[in-house]
Amino acid sequence: METGLEQKYNFDVVRWFTVMAVVYLVVGAAVGVYIAAELAWPFLNFDIPYLTFGRLRPLHTNAVIFAFGGCALMATAFYTVQRTCGVRLWSDKLAWFVFFGWNLIIVSAVITLPLGLTEAKEYAELEWPIDILIAIVWLAFSFNFIMTLAIRKTSHIYVSNWFYLGMMVMITYLHVVNSLSIPVGLFKSYSLFSGTQDAMIQWWWGHNAVGFYLTAGFLGMMYYFVPKQANRPVYSYRLSVIHFWALMFGYVWLGAHHLQYTALPDWTGSLGAAVSIAMIIPSWGGAVNGMMTLSGAWDKLRTDYVLRFLIVALAFYAMSTFEGPVMSLKTVNALSHYTDWTVGHVHSGALGWVAGVAIGSIYHLMTRLWHTEMFSEKLVNFHFWTLTIGTVVYIVAMWVSGIMQGLMWRAFDEYGNLAYTFVETVDAMHPYYAMRTVGGGIFLFGAIIMLFNVLMTVSKSVSSGSLQKARLATA
Amino acid sequence: MTSLSEYFHTDWEAMTTNDWIGTILTVVIFIAMVVAYFQVFRPKNKDRLESQRYVLFEEDNKDSGEKNGGT
Repeated sequence: METGLEQKYNFDVVRWFTVMAVVYLVVGAAVGVYIAAELAWPFLNFDIPYLTFGRLRPLHTNAVIFAFGGCALMATAFYTVQRTCGVRLWSDKLAWFVFFGWNLIIVSAVITLPLGLTEAKEYAELEWPIDILIAIVWLAFSFNFIMTLAIRKTSHIYVSNWFYLGMMVMITYLHVVNSLSIPVGLFKSYSLFSGTQDAMIQWWWGHNAVGFYLTAGFLGMMYYFVPKQANRPVYSYRLSVIHFWALMFGYVWLGAHHLQYTALPDWTGSLGAAVSIAMIIPSWGGAVNGMMTLSGAWDKLRTDYVLRFLIVALAFYAMSTFEGPVMSLKTVNALSHYTDWTVGHVHSGALGWVAGVAIGSIYHLMTRLWHTEMFSEKLVNFHFWTLTIGTVVYIVAMWVSGIMQGLMWRAFDEYGNLAYTFVETVDAMHPYYAMRTVGGGIFLFGAIIMLFNVLMTVSKSVSSGSLQKARLATA
Repeated sequence: MTSLSEYFHTDWEAMTTNDWIGTILTVVIFIAMVVAYFQVFRPKNKDRLESQRYVLFEEDNKDSGEKNGGT
């Protein structure tokens, strides 16, 4: 075990972000499974407004994206920037401000969203006072990261830091512009934009939250943790540089593909789709770069459970970055839009890629942050299979449901009348909604196992005194 | 007028400041992307860039020894 690191670096804040990420993974997935069950069996809302799908769905998305994803990003960004730059975080106080500020935002979301206090903008539901707090905390996070880069002991800035940095710059810009609104009360505001412009800004944000937060940030994780876990350098550094710049230049164009066949000018949707197709090249370049890091050492996958998470996550990344551009094409979009196929696509990225790479990175961090082995390797392996099987069951259910739904909506009889009523399509989807709940439930079960394993590892570290010893040790 | 020239016809007089900013940024970003590809795949830069692959494994050396107050 490496010694002296505890004195040199600030790992305390990383430890707290890591544990909270796992807690929020369980909470977010649990709310997701509950609302999936509500769609299959609507009586589960019990006529209580706070439990209805409309109020809990944004709570689910905020919990998994900003609470789980945010804590995982902040833990790994603060860890990797210190390790790759060879210096402690620029400011410990600012790091703790980010930790408490981010958790305050999450608590605010948990209170306001079930109460129905929302701006009604997807993935940006929180009301204006919380939006301002997000901007302040995010800027503090970014500033601390940038200043740590500025005082680095190394000459080169490793590529993972570039991905984190790209995310920080773009998310600041996107969040501030998309959240511009006119407050009419403490918990009510209206968007500064209206009509088509509002839709355009919303999906410029919506897709780039995926592109820069859920992709660039997590690619930063991938470029650090895959080589470290495999104990091999990344396959091609040049490919990683191209991956970074192509992602930065390309992603901002894609938002309009969410608005095909709407009031938006036709050319904007076509441009969004064209650039989406072009984005397959850097995305697959990055996925191949990550996977080929194992070139010549594929046998590691047989024994290294953490590496399995990371590599399977890359397979899901490759799959969803091919599926997304295909769905953005107008011909495919005519069938897929507004259907459950979109939900399936999102979850292949969210469960398979985002959760997979974050969970793999967290397992890697656990042994290094608590200076002990995992409480149970078997449970890590068990978790891997629940994540993989749960995700596959979920997305297959949504693919079948979505394609069936799209085909039923546009089926005509010989007289030109719609072949099915809307209610008939809902009835036909019911088995797949139940199947989706089962898939989500399997994923949730794995997340609970992970939380148990993580807490037991922390307990083991405390009881054996290994963390304490590391804090007192000198190199 | 051919259909091709009609297709590419632009009413330059109608271009607003926003249109110009968008157009210029698009062209600049395109050129920057070409420059990035050229620099990355230039054989001369191969060794310099690929040597950074090992940065992650040098951190273990950085973390021990004199810099870290050890021996």
